[in-house]
Amino acid sequence: VNCQEVVHLAPLYLSGEIDATRAAAMDAHLQTCPSCLHELEQQALQDSRLREAVHSEVADDATVIRRLRESIAECKGHQARRRILSGLRRRWVAVVGAAAMLLLLAGGSWLFRAPQIAEVCADAANDHRTEIVNKEPRPWLTVPAQIAALAERQGISGGAVVTLAPGNYHLDRARLCYLDRHVFLHLVYSDGAKEVSLFLRARSGSQQNPSGTEEEGTPVGRPDVNHAHLASFETARLTAVVVSGESPDAALQFAQSVSAAL
Amino acid sequence: LLTLRPAPGLEERITTTVIARQDEFERAAMPHARSLLRVARRLAADGSAAEDLVQETLLRAWRSFHQFQSGTNTRAWLFRILFNAFYAHGRKLRSAPVLVPLPTPGGGAESDTAPTISPLEATAILRALGELSAEHGSVLLLVVVEGFTCREAAEILALPIGTVMSRLSRARGALRDRLEGGPHNLRAARAGTEYLEKEAS
Repeated sequence: VNCQEVVHLAPLYLSGEIDATRAAAMDAHLQTCPSCLHELEQQALQDSRLREAVHSEVADDATVIRRLRESIAECKGHQARRRILSGLRRRWVAVVGAAAMLLLLAGGSWLFRAPQIAEVCADAANDHRTEIVNKEPRPWLTVPAQIAALAERQGISGGAVVTLAPGNYHLDRARLCYLDRHVFLHLVYSDGAKEVSLFLRARSGSQQNPSGTEEEGTPVGRPDVNHAHLASFETARLTAVVVSGESPDAALQFAQSVSAAL
Repeated sequence: LLTLRPAPGLEERITTTVIARQDEFERAAMPHARSLLRVARRLAADGSAAEDLVQETLLRAWRSFHQFQSGTNTRAWLFRILFNAFYAHGRKLRSAPVLVPLPTPGGGAESDTAPTISPLEATAILRALGELSAEHGSVLLLVVVEGFTCREAAEILALPIGTVMSRLSRARGALRDRLEGGPHNLRAARAGTEYLEKEAS
């Protein structure tokens, strides 16, 4: 090393951070350069005096430590309260999350559950009363071919629904409707004076008989709703509800003929 | 059904944790309060400002002590916080009045060894130190007085080590200028500058 490098490396040399190779090189230079040696000795001496001068000052840290402990005590209270509140918040979040999950599950199962026959019958009776008895205007398909095509799209035999008409009745019109939040095909058969409604829905294979009490496929009469007589049956492939204004027997007989045909 | 009450024992557990943390903090940080105060007195405007600076430093350290990893250099960490706080306050007017005690039987100064400089000389040195710029005073305090390596000082001050080295050289020269009443060692200063310029190029 030369004198310039000694000046540059002096801080590392004096703080003992210089690597062994450079330290040896500097030692070698200092042995042959009285000027650099004097300079480093002066720096070391001045460092020592500076250190001693600063350390000779009175530095009473008692006040600082006392004040700090007071601040920490105050700070600890805040921290403890914050952590407790944080814990409570976490618990509430967990509780609310669990409740939301339950609601979601309940809502989901309610939304996606299979149609309940009692609900379907009640809705069918209301639809029959509104659309057939009270004759509130609704868009209807009246062409048998169109009705058959609509039935096919719902997974129901189009040819069968046309020929299902009992006795002197004929298929008069049809439309889609919602019963218990599920789409049903609403068929209306007429003998010119009286009208009977047949609601049909093709069921997916995974849906079980929701009532669980009726023998599968066997039509049963159901309690009257708003003076309407009802009969229904459910098979693995089909849910059917008949609504008639004539009599309970007429409704049941029609349901039986539909069951036999479909 | 749902009441806003802490879980049983939660308050006790938290209190225990916080107390344990304070114990650990006391062991790790408090022993350095005096050296922090010593440096703060050279940085801050007066003794009161220095105490405030150290108080803020230690309080900041306490608040972030949960992030502190044991095994790291606590002292360097505290000094880094000290200088951050110092620079955050816009480098208040420095430095503190020189308070060198007169020699008394049994001592009073912090050094264990017998003083080799007189109180008058100490006063002159501290006055000269106070006249240096904050940048030069800081590196002298950290490396010379507090015994940090240049590398540690560089980390504390968030500077490249080369900058610390050059500042240290200049600070030593500037201090000697003030103590000896004139520019010293022009050869060394010139040589150092030329070397640094050469290295930079």
